[in-house]
Amino acid sequence: MISSWDKAKIFICVGSGGVGKTTMASAMALMAARLGKKVLVLTIDPSKRLAQTLGIEGKTEITKVPGLPKDVFLYASTIDHKKTFDDFVRRAARQEEAANKILNNKLYQQLTTQLSGSQEFSALEKLYSAYESGDYDLIVLDTPPSKHAMDFLKAPQKISALFSDGIAKWFRQPKGGIIQNLIYSGTRQVLKALELMTGSDFVRELSDFFVHIEKWQGQLEKRTMDFHRLLVSPVCHFCLVTSFDSAKLKEAEHFAKEIKKGGYHLKTVILNRAFPEWINDLEDFKDLDAKEKELHRLYMSLKSYYQKRVKDYAALEKRLPSEVEILKLPEFSFQISDIKSLEKMNTYWKKDNR
Amino acid sequence: MAQELHFITGKGGVGKSTVALAMALKKSQEGKKVLLVELGDQSFFKDFLDLDEVGFHPISLKKNLDISLWSGGDCLKEYARHLLKIEGLYKLFFENPISRSLINVAPGLAEISITGKITSGPRHHGPQMQYDCLVIDAYATGHFLSLIKAPAAMAQAINFGPMGEQNRGIDKILKNDQLCTYHIVTLPEDLPVKEAEELYQELQAFLGAQPEIYINKMLETSLTSPQLKKLAKDNSSIGEFAEYVEAVIDRQGEAKTRIEKLKSKTTILPFVTETEPWKMIEILSQEIKN
Repeated sequence: MISSWDKAKIFICVGSGGVGKTTMASAMALMAARLGKKVLVLTIDPSKRLAQTLGIEGKTEITKVPGLPKDVFLYASTIDHKKTFDDFVRRAARQEEAANKILNNKLYQQLTTQLSGSQEFSALEKLYSAYESGDYDLIVLDTPPSKHAMDFLKAPQKISALFSDGIAKWFRQPKGGIIQNLIYSGTRQVLKALELMTGSDFVRELSDFFVHIEKWQGQLEKRTMDFHRLLVSPVCHFCLVTSFDSAKLKEAEHFAKEIKKGGYHLKTVILNRAFPEWINDLEDFKDLDAKEKELHRLYMSLKSYYQKRVKDYAALEKRLPSEVEILKLPEFSFQISDIKSLEKMNTYWKKDNR
Repeated sequence: MAQELHFITGKGGVGKSTVALAMALKKSQEGKKVLLVELGDQSFFKDFLDLDEVGFHPISLKKNLDISLWSGGDCLKEYARHLLKIEGLYKLFFENPISRSLINVAPGLAEISITGKITSGPRHHGPQMQYDCLVIDAYATGHFLSLIKAPAAMAQAINFGPMGEQNRGIDKILKNDQLCTYHIVTLPEDLPVKEAEELYQELQAFLGAQPEIYINKMLETSLTSPQLKKLAKDNSSIGEFAEYVEAVIDRQGEAKTRIEKLKSKTTILPFVTETEPWKMIEILSQEIKN
């Protein structure tokens, strides 16, 4: 189905919230496994039924998906954000004492799940360790919910920003020396302003937080570089999932441009729920009775609605780079929440001949 | 009259922004002075309504209806300017590259700044805004929960000083059901309904108040399931379409039953086939009741 499939070792589904990333990631993984690959799918917050069907409900370890033929090797796992991130902190801090200091910091405890970009970092961490293990022919990654598709790629940068401007240095006491003391007296005034707004308790916790995380700066920077190398390598294919409305299509176009600039490989765009299956089928009927008239009215109003969207889509298609493959999926009348419906859905893929 | 605060949330892709605009329009037509607030760095309405620019300072959309876009950084800056009073000290703080980046990385600071600004009216703290009503086009489920829980979490971490006090104040307003109304938007489909149910429980547990629910994009027809079944027996293409419509109204019925079990105030919003933005919003706003 996907022509570039053979060269991929990693397949990352990105897209803004609610477009169907998790379903697409699962469907793709199943399809690749059916083609004889050993596949791992990493999902974030799957629906209960999907988690059940993948055999990963309430589990965090990698599990073989049950109910498939013996020669189909599909594995799945969810990404436990807090645990993955805490584990990274523990490893990065190296000594238990140092790790405990940050894990016990009140701000870290209360708000670590909100650290900007930390969810994406966890997803990449899990992806990277699965890739390093060499256990799989293909890993399919579902990405955390975000407002915009680009948020995923900006995340490692955001996490690195924790150190980039030397915030930790800023909070640290000077070691002495006239010049350092002079610089410090400047920053002390800034800290005073912050303290005036927030209080000394907050500034103390904050400085505690930054001083302790400084210990994992080296590890984190190294990891971020590893992630980046992996994400731009030719074996890592990106797949943008989008829904079929003009705002989302505009975003898709913007994303395609940005991702290319960043050196990543966007290979596939999936238009989810592009058209209902029935579109363009119905001719005009004469001599309709009342019930059929109502059905006809409904049909015509929906048809004209979807036809307007076709125009938006045609404009997007022209502007997407020619190497990007566009796949369409119709809107289904059945719910897609288990292996059976995923298999059924996989028979519907329509490639756009460009 | 106290300032009303309305928060719109729900799963990604359910139509939060359009519902927020429809609600804001409705309230402005009732004669209230309304501010529609977008959160984050990028405006949805700039593209949707083809506006020149949407930024921190409100611009007018219609009579009695303004719009602005709030980022954590903007909110903190405004607060600091108000509080520090001395321009020199303010400049020293915000022109320092480190403190500028602090807002983006310090855990919770952006969330506190935003919720602080939202509640500044009822708390009589910070620069006051001359609006009767704020309609906040807020984040999707997970991020929204982080946002409104941040002040309580921060107050727990930092007991004393202005940070502790301010956060307790913000949290108190967010939990005041006389001032704040929470609106969950969903689609009549399994996954969004599931997420709405869970979000409803979690918000109720945290706030002690009952969020209101909107089932968006309901296809309206007088045809019933048995009628459609009969029409579907026809082997022509109208039969196939009838089958589709039947599946849709069954799914809608199921979603409605599940939402009704929550016993919350529920509004049904139609699937609008009009694509001109303001016309579409006008149709939606007529369905929003008080």
